[in-house]
Amino acid sequence: MNILLCCSAGMSTSLLVTKMEAAAKEHGLECKIWAVSADTVKAQIDQADVLLLGPQVRYLLPQMKSLANEKNIPVETINPVHYGTLNGLEVLNTAINLIKNH
Amino acid sequence: MENLEETIFQIILHGGNGKSCSMEAIAAAKKGDFVQAKEKLEQSATALNEAHRIQTSLIQSEVKNKKIEMSLLMVHAQDHLMNAITVKDLAKEFVDLYEKLHA
Repeated sequence: MNILLCCSAGMSTSLLVTKMEAAAKEHGLECKIWAVSADTVKAQIDQADVLLLGPQVRYLLPQMKSLANEKNIPVETINPVHYGTLNGLEVLNTAINLIKNH
Repeated sequence: MENLEETIFQIILHGGNGKSCSMEAIAAAKKGDFVQAKEKLEQSATALNEAHRIQTSLIQSEVKNKKIEMSLLMVHAQDHLMNAITVKDLAKEFVDLYEKLHA
């Protein structure tokens, strides 16, 4: 399962990646999770099964949706509460559910 | 201040939310939906106020000699907040401009 996270510089989200990786490891899940800047998404979306946006780039959702539709993968904004509290497990669950229900 | 990392993330979150709302305000104005645009500008102001409130609490504890550890993440949060405030001010101008163009 490949989870791509996107925020403006890919910086704050990388801390969330660390928390998500810890949660995945704890539950014995094989995941590749990584964070990139909004500009890099296009170049890396091919390797992703799901795309999650940081709340600070929520305004990019329409254009990311069309990009994700082309690649036929789900895309969603990260729940602000989960993001603000660095809740890696909940964000991981969101990603898994998005892939399942796609 | 419970957990500094989380506090910093709250600044990034609310600052970032504020910026998103500002950009959505411009997008709404571009489509001619000025009611939505103004609502988004208000939401942006609310989010930035919240980010600013957290920021102020950090500054206040520093002034009270409670040393706050400077990290790259903290600098990044400040960067987010300043940027979001600038975008909000400019978004208001954009919305006004689109409204004039639309009239």
